[in-house]
Amino acid sequence: MKQLTDITTPFDDIAASKTLPGQDIDWLQQLREQARAQFQRQGLPSKKVEDWKYTSLWALSQEVFTHEAGASQLDEMRCSQTALLETAYRLVIVDGQFSAELSHIDGLETGLTVQPLSQAFSKTKSVLGQQVTLEKAGLNALNTMLMTEGAYIQVTANTKVSKPVELLVINTGETDKLATHLRHVIDIAENAELTLVEHYVSLADDSVGLTDVISEVNLAENARLNHFKLQHESLSHYHVATLAGKQASSSIWHTNNISLGAKLARNDIHSQLLGEQAHVTMDGLYLVAGKQHVDNHTRIDHAVPNTTSEEIYKGVLDGDSHAVFNGKVIVHKDAQKTDANQSNRNLLLSRTCEIDTKPEMEIYADDVKCGHGSTVGQLDEQQLFFLRARGMNETSARSLLTYAFAVEVLQRISDMPIRQALSNVIETRLPRGV
Amino acid sequence: MLTIKNLHASVDGKEILRGIDLTVNPGEIHAIMGPNGAGKSTLSNVLAGREGYEITQGEVIYKGENLLELEPEERAQRGVFLAFQYPVEIPGVSNVYLLKAALNAVRKYQGLEEVDAMDFLTLVREKMKLVKMNEEFLHRNVNEGFSGGEKKRNEILQMAVLEPALAILDETDSGLDIDALRTVSEGVNALRAEDRSIVMITHYQRLLDHIVPDFVHVLSEGRIVKSGDKELAKELEKSGYSWIHDAPEGETA
Repeated sequence: MKQLTDITTPFDDIAASKTLPGQDIDWLQQLREQARAQFQRQGLPSKKVEDWKYTSLWALSQEVFTHEAGASQLDEMRCSQTALLETAYRLVIVDGQFSAELSHIDGLETGLTVQPLSQAFSKTKSVLGQQVTLEKAGLNALNTMLMTEGAYIQVTANTKVSKPVELLVINTGETDKLATHLRHVIDIAENAELTLVEHYVSLADDSVGLTDVISEVNLAENARLNHFKLQHESLSHYHVATLAGKQASSSIWHTNNISLGAKLARNDIHSQLLGEQAHVTMDGLYLVAGKQHVDNHTRIDHAVPNTTSEEIYKGVLDGDSHAVFNGKVIVHKDAQKTDANQSNRNLLLSRTCEIDTKPEMEIYADDVKCGHGSTVGQLDEQQLFFLRARGMNETSARSLLTYAFAVEVLQRISDMPIRQALSNVIETRLPRGV
Repeated sequence: MLTIKNLHASVDGKEILRGIDLTVNPGEIHAIMGPNGAGKSTLSNVLAGREGYEITQGEVIYKGENLLELEPEERAQRGVFLAFQYPVEIPGVSNVYLLKAALNAVRKYQGLEEVDAMDFLTLVREKMKLVKMNEEFLHRNVNEGFSGGEKKRNEILQMAVLEPALAILDETDSGLDIDALRTVSEGVNALRAEDRSIVMITHYQRLLDHIVPDFVHVLSEGRIVKSGDKELAKELEKSGYSWIHDAPEGETA
């Protein structure tokens, strides 16, 4: 069986009976119907599917999730403390529902639109469903039939947005086993520029829930998107995400995907470089411990000549954690002068953690510059001794070296406030002592 | 300050140190010389607490404490400093961070407050002059991309900031050209003090032209076979190490 069809939560029934936003929009209704039919046929992918070889959704398929969130009591102060950035436009989603009170999206600058998706579906036709296919074995059908909220972000041509936008997605844990299905639609027009942070966080340490999210990105000619994702959810939470974008010529997409939380986290990140001189950076960092499982599948399609990509994923594994990295770079026929570089480096802090890493390159053009590699190692004993010989205790020394390993990914972030904020969050996840 | 008595140490069951006796008083500079394989680096590593050495006999008393019972960081906090023969590179950790963390670890042990960022910078700038390093080095990652001479100067900078009671300089002259050797030596000489002892471990006599020791010891096959003053080093320079195999057992000062 390639699919998991024995799914405890009746997602398809819920999709049929629930009042979902945008029901008056024909094309959206059709899309949801197609998705539902597709989900009924294919269910969730099993480990027999190559892309899911190391990640099992069985436990997720056996959970009984609810789709009805209670009213949460989150106040402004708690929300601000939870946010990553002080100075930013902020769209807040609490337990799957847009919160107008907690969001800071009034008085946006000219050229920028930030709206809850539930109020903006009618504007999304040219992007929504265009970056992902329902047929691909995965979670696209599930998300598409049930998507209820998310962000619609549009930047008009030639607008350089002065402040970052933070999409703050909070699980309060007040509704047990809540499933949320979110879709973000991000559309950046010619010569426009935006910095975006997707931030997923739980307020309760051990709340169980599901975050199912797809972000679709469209970058027009010479558009630029600095795109951060910080996933910091409860260690009992499920997080499945797709981030997919199409890039026109000379567009630049910097993605930085930091995965710290969740019991199971899966990210599928995909860029299609469709215009010459387009560039994508896919960076990532995962820090996992205990019984956490994190899986990052990335894919870059160099579809035309003269495009570039750069990718560094680093991981720190402790306890009985399991990480999976699969990075695919495809250089299509005629995509000459492609320059692609990819690396995945892992630091193992325990004997019982496991990493499955597979960088892959498929090259169908002959005049290209491509490199890839992966490493798996432990803390360096010489460095450890050196730090101890300078007076640092062993825990501090290990912690410092772990941070030093991870920091390379942060040092590639040019936005200093964001770099500092992410660094502060990561430090809280290191072994105690620094 | 430091008393080593009948120290025997093995690596993988092979005995490297075979009965070292050495007393270092406050303010003294001792040079330990010897051919390759004599056990020089083993001695410095054992004193600093590196793992992988088995102490089979003997003891090392530092300021009244059994040094060998202490963890490497506990030795450092009590004022024992090893200048590494091969300083390691630590990508991702800046020099300034390392220096501050090291100083604060020592201060914490001494019951002192952590230094604040401004005071620390003032202090470290002062110390950098000793080894002719410019401020750019503070913000580079520890030893990453440093030349051999820069790495050794960096070790002496760490020593200058930490102000240890006992410094062990392991082959600090190796890999240095004459200018770098002079800079490093000037740095060490500036750190000479009545309450600070230095043990220099070296293969070559040339370092001793720059840092003049009070005592010179010749290490061979895991024992000190001869001790004397700086004249002994000159003798070694002239006749090499070949004669020591002929020296009668136990001819130590």
